[in-house]
Amino acid sequence: MILFGKIALGLVGTAVAGAGILCSEGMVEVKVVQRQPEVHHVHVIAPAMLAPIAMHFAPRKNVSQAAAEIQPWMPTIRAALEQLRESDDVTLVEVKEPGEHVRVAKQGGSIVVDVEDHDDTVHVSTPIRAISSTIEQLAATAPST
Amino acid sequence: MRKRLCGIGVICLLAGMATTAPAAMAGPAERYLHVKVEDATKGESVNVNVPLSMAEKILPTIHKDNIRNGHVTIGHADMDDVDIRALLDAVRTAPDNEFVTVKEKDQDVRVAKSNGNLVVHVRDGNKGGQKVDITVPMKVVDALLSTAKDNELDISAAIRALSEAGDAVLVTVEDASEHVRIWVDSKGSQE
Repeated sequence: MILFGKIALGLVGTAVAGAGILCSEGMVEVKVVQRQPEVHHVHVIAPAMLAPIAMHFAPRKNVSQAAAEIQPWMPTIRAALEQLRESDDVTLVEVKEPGEHVRVAKQGGSIVVDVEDHDDTVHVSTPIRAISSTIEQLAATAPST
Repeated sequence: MRKRLCGIGVICLLAGMATTAPAAMAGPAERYLHVKVEDATKGESVNVNVPLSMAEKILPTIHKDNIRNGHVTIGHADMDDVDIRALLDAVRTAPDNEFVTVKEKDQDVRVAKSNGNLVVHVRDGNKGGQKVDITVPMKVVDALLSTAKDNELDISAAIRALSEAGDAVLVTVEDASEHVRIWVDSKGSQE
């Protein structure tokens, strides 16, 4: 009985630790509301750590060109993300047109993109840490020169 | 009783220090470069807000075309053989004055140095013509010229100088329908 208890405790501990690690980079939130032709709601919240992990398993031939192109810009991207992480919350870009509204902002530790037009409303929130690790992972797959 | 009052006084003093210390120890407030473009006839607007500290850190990492290490190289061919560096240096060292005044039937141009700023006004007298106002703090001009090389301008230093200068409207361009405004302040939004 005690043995079963220990095993159960071990399993629960492992599950909690795994969940903790998985959520350590925050959560990616995607919310899409499609109004036409039919109303659809899509709401996904996923651990942000899945993105760099997915990059790790992405076929190299499919990402090698993007990786090679992003490589020279890595110092710029690193500097930008580091400064974004440290900066206060700010709306970076906002574009308004009749019936359309696009907003890119830094909110908390995340980059938030909101797009709204006649047909759809899209909200994407991604932790900056996850963006950073995903891009680092992508750059690491670049063929060495 | 006296000791107790003293104790309460010390606690109040410590509490006061604890609440005011973070504000006093906090670094200077973040400064933002704002760009607002509005087209009233189309009902469109674009707002961009860039933390100056971010621009300052990013610029030195860009090495493309004529931008290297936060410096921009100006070829004489690009400026029709006008030595922009010598021109800015001449303005920098000159006293407050009107340097250029052009008055035509439908256009006024004025370039002056006033109250520590380089000021450019352009007025198009035609109906719906453009009005352009540019104000650049001379500290920014100084910073632009702070590089050793003759054909370079130090953009990083200029941004640093801009973040140290006070709130300022740098550029406004207006015509019948469009309005462009570029300014610097400590607010993260344009409200």
